[in-house]
Amino acid sequence: MGKQLDLLQGTLDMLILKAVSLGPLHGYGILLRIQQISKDRLEIQQGSLYPALYRLEHLGWITSEWGESENKRKAKYYRLTAAGKRRLQAETQNWNSMADVIAGILGTKPEEV
Amino acid sequence: MDAELRFHIEALAADLVRSGVSRQEALRRARLEFGAIERVKEEGREARGISFVDEMMQDLHYGQRVLSKSPGFAVVAVLTLALGIGATTAIFSVVNAVLMRPLAMEDPSRVVYLQEQWRDLFPGVSVGNFADLKRQSTSFAKLCASNNASFNLEARELPERVDGEIATADYFATFGVQPIAGRFFTVDEDKPGQARVVVISERLWRTRLRADPSVVGQPIRINGMPATVVGVMPKSFDPLLGNSDLWIPAAYTAEQLADHDDHYLNVVGRLKANVSLAQAQSELNVIAQRLQQQYPLDDQDRGFRLQPLATALLGDQRLGLRMMLAAVGFLLLIACANIANLQLTRSRSRQKEIAMRAALGASPRRIVRQLLAENLVLGLVGGVVGVLLAYWALSWIMAHGPAEMPRLDQSRIDASTLAFACAVALFSSFFFGLAPALRSASTRLNEVFKMGSSTSGGTRDRVRSLLVVLEVSLALILMVGAGLLVRSALLVSHVDPGFDTSNVVVGRVGLPDPGYHDPAVARQTFERMITVAAALPGVESAAVVSRAPLAGGGSSNGLLAEDQGLDLSNLVNSQLQIISPSYLSTARVPLKAGRDFTPQDRRDRTLVAIVNETLARTIWPGENPIGKRFACCEAGPKGRMDPVWHEVVGVVADVRAWGLDHQVQPEFYIPIAQMPPSAWDWIGRTMDLVVRTGGGVVPVHELQSVVASVAPAVPIYRLSTMQQKISSTLERSHFDTFLLAIFATTALLLSSVGIYGVLSNIVTQRTRDIGIRMALGASQAQIAWDVLGFGMRLASIGLVLGLVGALAATRLLSSLLYRVRPTDTITFTAVSVILLVVALMASYLPARRATRVDPMVALRYE
Repeated sequence: MGKQLDLLQGTLDMLILKAVSLGPLHGYGILLRIQQISKDRLEIQQGSLYPALYRLEHLGWITSEWGESENKRKAKYYRLTAAGKRRLQAETQNWNSMADVIAGILGTKPEEV
Repeated sequence: MDAELRFHIEALAADLVRSGVSRQEALRRARLEFGAIERVKEEGREARGISFVDEMMQDLHYGQRVLSKSPGFAVVAVLTLALGIGATTAIFSVVNAVLMRPLAMEDPSRVVYLQEQWRDLFPGVSVGNFADLKRQSTSFAKLCASNNASFNLEARELPERVDGEIATADYFATFGVQPIAGRFFTVDEDKPGQARVVVISERLWRTRLRADPSVVGQPIRINGMPATVVGVMPKSFDPLLGNSDLWIPAAYTAEQLADHDDHYLNVVGRLKANVSLAQAQSELNVIAQRLQQQYPLDDQDRGFRLQPLATALLGDQRLGLRMMLAAVGFLLLIACANIANLQLTRSRSRQKEIAMRAALGASPRRIVRQLLAENLVLGLVGGVVGVLLAYWALSWIMAHGPAEMPRLDQSRIDASTLAFACAVALFSSFFFGLAPALRSASTRLNEVFKMGSSTSGGTRDRVRSLLVVLEVSLALILMVGAGLLVRSALLVSHVDPGFDTSNVVVGRVGLPDPGYHDPAVARQTFERMITVAAALPGVESAAVVSRAPLAGGGSSNGLLAEDQGLDLSNLVNSQLQIISPSYLSTARVPLKAGRDFTPQDRRDRTLVAIVNETLARTIWPGENPIGKRFACCEAGPKGRMDPVWHEVVGVVADVRAWGLDHQVQPEFYIPIAQMPPSAWDWIGRTMDLVVRTGGGVVPVHELQSVVASVAPAVPIYRLSTMQQKISSTLERSHFDTFLLAIFATTALLLSSVGIYGVLSNIVTQRTRDIGIRMALGASQAQIAWDVLGFGMRLASIGLVLGLVGALAATRLLSSLLYRVRPTDTITFTAVSVILLVVALMASYLPARRATRVDPMVALRYE
């Protein structure tokens, strides 16, 4: 396990959208999915997950319904909506271009200026 | 949400169990890792944003629980608030009924009231001018005229006097109100020589005609003549607010239509849809100029004034009612400030509770909302109690309010009043709740928990002091207002009415035209009434006068003094009184010079007159008026400018004919035996019978039978003692004074409670400081002075602010005051002293408590 990173401000929403875009998940599942994809390198405050979920649901990017979990318990599953899909695309693009720019800036050597 | 979070924690725990931790330890770790579950819920709810109503209900419920845990505070706060809301709501419902409710007619905003304007007087319109206006003006869709009259109505029981109007045919169409039965009178019926028709009010129909459904077409007798009822108007129809019960067609004769000299018509018009008031007024100005040239004798200097009808009818009520509304508004503010103070006190003692909530994850916004919700509960309960209070207050106002205030009887607690009360309650709970709530929310947690239980940092609370200062200054403004009115009322009560008002009974008698048309017959009838009344046991003397002082009504005449040239610009407007020779001695109006009338002053002798001192001073300043002559009231055989001279034979004291608080008008008396024949029409064949008793019981029934025995089927009405008439003219101002005095007293009480509250709270908070000071050797007097001084400082600042406010506010009162300037020094001083004394008393108790602090106890208190 590598070093754990703190989540960058404002990226949790994007990660949630990505996580549920791979298939319906319950809250705990989202948490596990993100940790799994990031190879446990991201630390997510569990308490902040649910307010974010409710906010996204309120914005109409994800929807939820009650279903049954792997161990036969009632759990609430979240799914991406069409609006959420568009949002995820936009955010991904935005992130990538931002990352390019930042990487470009940080990678600049003195002689290039 | 709850289930979801529980699932999360359990799933987390299950994973931990799988990795080999015990189940209990796993749950513990899972919870720890998850964080404060309530906070998550809280944030989750906010993120969802749909639960506002839920939260509000929760807050309200919590607020109600908190309040029921401190019933003392809740009761005081609710009662204070209910007082404010109740008073405000009661006065608002009066204002709503009297001033704000539209007049009961079609599109009242287009209905205008038209008067003549001569010098600074606004008399009615003459029939001739009305006819010309109606012909020449184009601004009005309808223009009608009416004059108030009262009639002897004979139907079934005793003859009765009812008020009504003599109106032109389009009177009803102008107001656009339909009859509930029958019809109005037609243009044809509004012509001389037609069979008499009458339209009656719903009230008359119900009370006097037993709500007879077949009343239309039936004959009744009015002023001794038969007339046919053609229509019944709905209950709400009283467009000129004169309590009219019947309307008969004016049917102006050719002679009346040519008369430009008698100004007594109420003229009402409905503006055409595209004509503004200003446009109509300028058209009237043009017509007025034309009339001035056409009728120089009658219409010289005469113009017209146009006002919205509502202004003309209700304008007089505005000042007094607005003053009341402002007064109750102040009262409400004071009540709110008091509750805000109580809340601030409580918020200090609740700091721990609130800090605990914040520690458990409540956001500042949530705490503010919670505290506001608590205040809302207070506000709503206060509102409900306040409305109950308003019910009671309103029924009191309606029972004791001035009879002359139009539409007062229509005030009630209705939807709009309830909406008002609701708005006031919400506004007040927000007002008194916001400051404490914001303060609580900004409390820093660690400070609270660090704090001991009885130290308080020692700063005097500025917000609370400010609120007390505000209360004191508002209370002072109210007190000054009330003080001025009280002083004015006291001065009025000492005014000399100009005659002996004790043991005098007055009633009005109107002789109908048929049977009494002949002036000689009318005069002899009244003379016989005097003789019979004077012979009653217990009666000292009796007399008639055209309009007794304070009995209402009167007719004004222009006088021209002989020695000042026969120029109309020298006209002196003065009040005419036609009296029997016994009147001045019966009323005991003091004769200042010359002689009284005698029965020998008949029309075949020199025409004589007696003037009051004001008239003598106005026309002949510094001269002896006896023997001077003036022209008035009638014209000689050679036409309008042929003067008929009256010789002044006596001067009498001024009589306050219009009310003790009214200016005395120039007034002159002429004997009944010398009155011009046409004067009988001016006064409608109506005279006031004045009887002086030896001090015994008022012979009301005897007077009724005296009149009936001399003139069958003629009633005597408005029968009362002179004292009663005086108090009824003062009813309005006494009512205002009384209400304002009550408001001011309440305001004073509330603000002294405010002072007391702040000081005793300071003493409680500083118990330890005081203990330390005393332990260090401060004397009890020093401690007491410290507390007293602080209280007096608050009161003085409030006093100064209040005095400034009062100086600005009382100027508006000046028209309600009699012989008191709005800046009256005595009132301002007296009120300030009262306020300081009360403030001192309110500061005394906490100061005394401060001196009783036992240093040992105080220090151990920690």
